[in-house]
Amino acid sequence: MILCRRTFLQAGAAAAAWPGLSHLALAADAVPGDCLIVVFQRGGCDGLSLLAPTNDPDYVADRAPESRVLGDGPKPGRPLRQGLAPAIDFRLHPESVPLGELYDSRALALVHAVGLYDGTRSHFVAQDLMERGVGDGTRLARTGDGWLTRLLAVHPSAAPAITTGPAIAASLGFHRDSLAIPDLRGGLGLPGGPQVRRTLTALYGDADDPFSRAAADTLREMERVESRLPRGPDGKLVEYQPEFNAVYEETESGRAFRTVARLLKMDIGLSVACVDIGGWDHHDNLAGRFAALVGQFSRALAAFWNDTAGYHDRLTVVVMTEFGRRLRTNKSNGADHGHGSVMMVLGGHVLGGDIYGRWPGLASAQLDNGVDLAITTDYRAVLAEIASARLGAGQALDLLFPGFRPGQPLGLVRAS
Amino acid sequence: MTISPERLMLNRLAFGASPGDLAQMHLVGAERWIEQQLAPDPGDEAEMVQRLAAMGLHIKYDAGDGFGAVDEMRPPQCLDRDVAELWPLTDAKRKIAGPERQRPRQEVAAATLLRAIHSRWQLREVLVDFWHNHFNVNAAGDQAVNVALPAYDRVIRSHALGNFREFLEAVATSPAMLVYLNNRSSRAGSANENYGRELFELHSLGRDAYLNDLYNRWRDVPGALKGSPAGYIDQDVYEAARAFTGWTIEDGAGLGGGKTLPATGRFTYVEAWHDNYQKRVLATDFDPFQPPLADGRKVLDLIAAHPATARFVCTKLCRRLVSDTPSDALVTAATQVWTENRKRPDQIKRVVRAIAHAPAMREGFGAKVKRPLELTASYARGAGIDATVTVGLLNELDGSGQKLFGWAAPTGHPDSMDYWLSSHVLRKRWTLVSGLSDNGWGTGSFSPAARVARPITAAQAIALWHGDLTGVEADGRTIAAILSGMQLAAQAPLMPGPASDPVHRRIFAFCAMTPAFNLR
Repeated sequence: MILCRRTFLQAGAAAAAWPGLSHLALAADAVPGDCLIVVFQRGGCDGLSLLAPTNDPDYVADRAPESRVLGDGPKPGRPLRQGLAPAIDFRLHPESVPLGELYDSRALALVHAVGLYDGTRSHFVAQDLMERGVGDGTRLARTGDGWLTRLLAVHPSAAPAITTGPAIAASLGFHRDSLAIPDLRGGLGLPGGPQVRRTLTALYGDADDPFSRAAADTLREMERVESRLPRGPDGKLVEYQPEFNAVYEETESGRAFRTVARLLKMDIGLSVACVDIGGWDHHDNLAGRFAALVGQFSRALAAFWNDTAGYHDRLTVVVMTEFGRRLRTNKSNGADHGHGSVMMVLGGHVLGGDIYGRWPGLASAQLDNGVDLAITTDYRAVLAEIASARLGAGQALDLLFPGFRPGQPLGLVRAS
Repeated sequence: MTISPERLMLNRLAFGASPGDLAQMHLVGAERWIEQQLAPDPGDEAEMVQRLAAMGLHIKYDAGDGFGAVDEMRPPQCLDRDVAELWPLTDAKRKIAGPERQRPRQEVAAATLLRAIHSRWQLREVLVDFWHNHFNVNAAGDQAVNVALPAYDRVIRSHALGNFREFLEAVATSPAMLVYLNNRSSRAGSANENYGRELFELHSLGRDAYLNDLYNRWRDVPGALKGSPAGYIDQDVYEAARAFTGWTIEDGAGLGGGKTLPATGRFTYVEAWHDNYQKRVLATDFDPFQPPLADGRKVLDLIAAHPATARFVCTKLCRRLVSDTPSDALVTAATQVWTENRKRPDQIKRVVRAIAHAPAMREGFGAKVKRPLELTASYARGAGIDATVTVGLLNELDGSGQKLFGWAAPTGHPDSMDYWLSSHVLRKRWTLVSGLSDNGWGTGSFSPAARVARPITAAQAIALWHGDLTGVEADGRTIAAILSGMQLAAQAPLMPGPASDPVHRRIFAFCAMTPAFNLR
């Protein structure tokens, strides 16, 4: 792993500003390595609205104008230069303009027609399979933990792994050094302070039941973060100040990315964070609901990227979802569960500014089961490439993704 | 850890053991206690009605366009309301303050927690919680679901011990479910598949019976050609979605020709929106042009009768009532009772009775962790806190990972230990019992000191309260941990009288943070 000098200098500067942080620059465990942020869009994000083939004749024929992204008019999609299918005018959703800027700056790469080859249209089966890093149900029963849990076994982390929801993401299943932090603004203190900490530490110390083990893990990992949260002279938590004019909105996306940015910039050695963004299950009113959500999401991701400018060198963000949505909308002007969708990869070593994968087309004969965007790239190809190039797990891919045989690399990321 | 069978049963068939329940169970015996609990009065007992009416839920907002400022403690007013009475709260154009619009979920959640603490009919409350999760809706995500929640809660309550087939139809025609899973807008031509899919996967046959990865055509599913397919595939979902087209609500939508539906929020069937042509669901042919509602009802008949449904729902019941990993023998026994009593009006009651009397009900402490609702209610019950429910407590529970009627995914809250042991949930568990002990949300104070007539030592107090809460003796390490954490000497005297209450209450809270109290 790279020891990033700049990060240490920043930590030193921060320590000067906040006396409570003075031990940080010397902290032996703050070894900056690459950090992977895995964003899961729960519910099945419509890849055909996120990254739309605006002039594809089947797209135009099968979706009413109000349910698709347009290539012109008062609110056109954001055009992109790309080599995936030059004849097709692929555009990001108009609410995703901030992502277009990241794409043009080559920090953001997109992968189209990607996903889980297994034909399930169940959210919960698909999410389970993907979070455990497997390709079909036959391996589910034998793969209890998450793919990130296995990644952390070969790429140990100085800091706890983070999930920005109330529960640990399944991709971190059975990883004991994990924290679920829906919001960091109130800190991670205990009700009752030191007395409670003392008592609980003694209470759970060497007890051997699942509750006590989890509680002891929690106390230990929380303390590692809580003790580094900057406090003012009055002992109160210092409010987080995003840098470079980044603004996080009060949305699920805004809160989650602000939390991750703060943790990253505390220099505790954050290696893995899972961000869960819900609400993508647009069975009705696709156009309106998608626009609102993808706008929040895009602004939050862009704010995060700006805010963490000092960390780009060791940062990779991957965005995934369990499946895309049906090409044809239903009578509720929504789209039911589909198949292929889009993944996004953002990072300092990402070869961005292009759409990766293979475009299968949207003609009836090209669709999966005659109705859905086909998958031409296994979601694990993207994850494996990142794990291999950025996290030193190249020799452990069969552990991370049992049964997966990587093909020709997509060339999404530069190796460290 | 040896815990008495009575305690185990009260942890599972009730929201924990209160001194009164333990006494009652000892008095009448476990068998009769179960029978009493399986025959609850309809509705709330008089004492519960009084408690509900006395519960003040703070509501506060400034004056706005068309309404004056409000700052008051208001008892629940929505619980008995029909959806039509609350439907105006969905109208964004009406001049109604935001906090008024949020009341339905808040009131139902408050009533749920208050009943969990105090209801005489504990087993019914446990099952109501189970079915609300089984037939989950998210009232925090959609205002139309929110205003339909009180009626939905009454549907769940009235069927919790009833017949599953009837229950399915009551849910399928509930405005809350019709809105939540989008069937409300499903129309012939391109049906909305959301409800149809979750009906199979989550409400009935279960995901183990989703055989889509194995079979692409209905006739390939084992048993299909004999009319009894082993499971379902996407084709069944698509066809079922067609069967429910036209099942909707009166939401003021246009019907064409200048006609509109009334705006009451109530269930209705719109023939013009129904896909009338022939269908095939679970290898059974549906003739075209059936009478109103017949197609959907036939789907419900088929799934209610399917063996996978019996197995799936009984497994979930055993998981809720007994263990995260119920034994095959227990599930099989429950499934058999389910199947044999499929046509009876008290089918579910008979299944619950079988589970309640099974040997597994009386053994195996630690096979589950209490969810925050259980933790909160069982702490108030076990510590003998005469607690009411306040908005402060509800907000804390909302943030605990168990947001009542606010879980976004149609799965309902998870029912296995790992979810409830995340760092966030653990931290909230500690907060919940601390806040209840200290009356941090105005739920009511309690005075443990008044229960001891003589001075006792700190170590004795720990042993006493630990025993009251958990039914097991505190081991030396637990006593030492609490003493050292609180910096108390074992022999430190605690005098009778309210001056000792803060120390007693803190000891109570620590006893509620032990594995003995959090596991069940």
